[in-house]
Amino acid sequence: MQHTVEATTNTEVLENLRLELRRGCLILAVLAELREERYGYTLRKALATQGMEIDEGTLYPLLRRLENQGLLVSEWREEEKRNKRFYSLSADGKLILKQLAAEWKSINASLEGIL
Amino acid sequence: MELIERYLQALKFALPAKQRDDIVKELRDSILSQVEEKEAEVGHLLTEDDQVALLKKLGSPIHLASRYRKQQHMIGATMFPIYWKVLKASLGLAFLVLIIASVATAAAGKTLTESLGVLFHYPSVALMTFAWITLVFSALEFFGGRLQLKDTWDPRKLPPLVKESPRKSQFELIAQLLIQAIFSVWWLVGLHYQYLILGPGIAFLQLGPVWQTIYPLLVVTVVADLALTASLLVRPLWIKGQSISRLVMNALSLVVIYFLINAGDLFMAADPSVARLQALVKIVNYWTHIGLMITVVVIVIKMVVEIVKLVGRRFAQVHHATVSL
Repeated sequence: MQHTVEATTNTEVLENLRLELRRGCLILAVLAELREERYGYTLRKALATQGMEIDEGTLYPLLRRLENQGLLVSEWREEEKRNKRFYSLSADGKLILKQLAAEWKSINASLEGIL
Repeated sequence: MELIERYLQALKFALPAKQRDDIVKELRDSILSQVEEKEAEVGHLLTEDDQVALLKKLGSPIHLASRYRKQQHMIGATMFPIYWKVLKASLGLAFLVLIIASVATAAAGKTLTESLGVLFHYPSVALMTFAWITLVFSALEFFGGRLQLKDTWDPRKLPPLVKESPRKSQFELIAQLLIQAIFSVWWLVGLHYQYLILGPGIAFLQLGPVWQTIYPLLVVTVVADLALTASLLVRPLWIKGQSISRLVMNALSLVVIYFLINAGDLFMAADPSVARLQALVKIVNYWTHIGLMITVVVIVIKMVVEIVKLVGRRFAQVHHATVSL
């Protein structure tokens, strides 16, 4: 019984840590994918193709936040007979992406050594 | 597609008003794109079960809408430790005020039930205290965040290191405060209704008139003693203040004992005409006086030790400051 409780707790801990770890990475991945203009659905598919699955409940609010922070710009346009919201990096977004990518490489190199 | 529209309608209701149309429009497109892709894959229109599965992946409308909102809190992580300390201190202070009110009621000659009954108001007083403190801190959080209050702390102003000494737990202190309060109320009421103190012995003994003479002094001593215990609860690290309070307490006790020793008869015979009772009262008074004398010696020793500790700490602080220079 105690083992079951411990196993459940460990699974929860792992899941929480995994989510924390993914959160920052997802932002970087989304910014990187938006170097090219995309709308939500195609962005999600592009990320999934690269092995970075992201659910809509996470992606769309994230896109709003990044836009509010001035890192993305968006516009509504008609495509395939439907209005779609297209996102792309703003000038600030491009700069931040560059800095974040450098930071990521540095962290990754350090972690490679540590792990 | 009615199910999808119902989902979007529920979502719209839970979204921030300014953005709701825009968000719903975007999500509708995303869902419909998925539906089209799935229908192309299976070669027929999606069944209701398929739509349910698709919507379930999005999560409940309330849950999804919550992700579009900023994380909200009344009191943030920076302010919370201060809020928590103030709340605990205020709840303790409210308790102390009620204890003093209870003691005052007892001192006014009310019955034990009436005096202790004052303490039963604590739940409502505590609730009001909690509400006001939370309201004030929420306002501070709200306006403080807007005013961008300056962080002006200076490491040099931190309190000096305190030697670790085994301190009483909060539970012990609360229990002590409670017992002290009940005892104080019993004692002060008992001086008016002597059977509460003497019990069946009231048939033989009575308290001398000195107890009524020094009654106000006893009230002050009792309140000061309660305040000292409360201060341990509220400010456990206020070492200097507690030392001084203990000295004041001891001095007050000495004054009370001085009056008692000089009063002559602390107890009197219930029936002065019975010679054997008079002899018994004489013995009781004699040993009570001896007991009071011993108490004086113990108190004086305690005061000397306290003063030595206080001066020692002061010297250590001055020395520490000099070395730091």
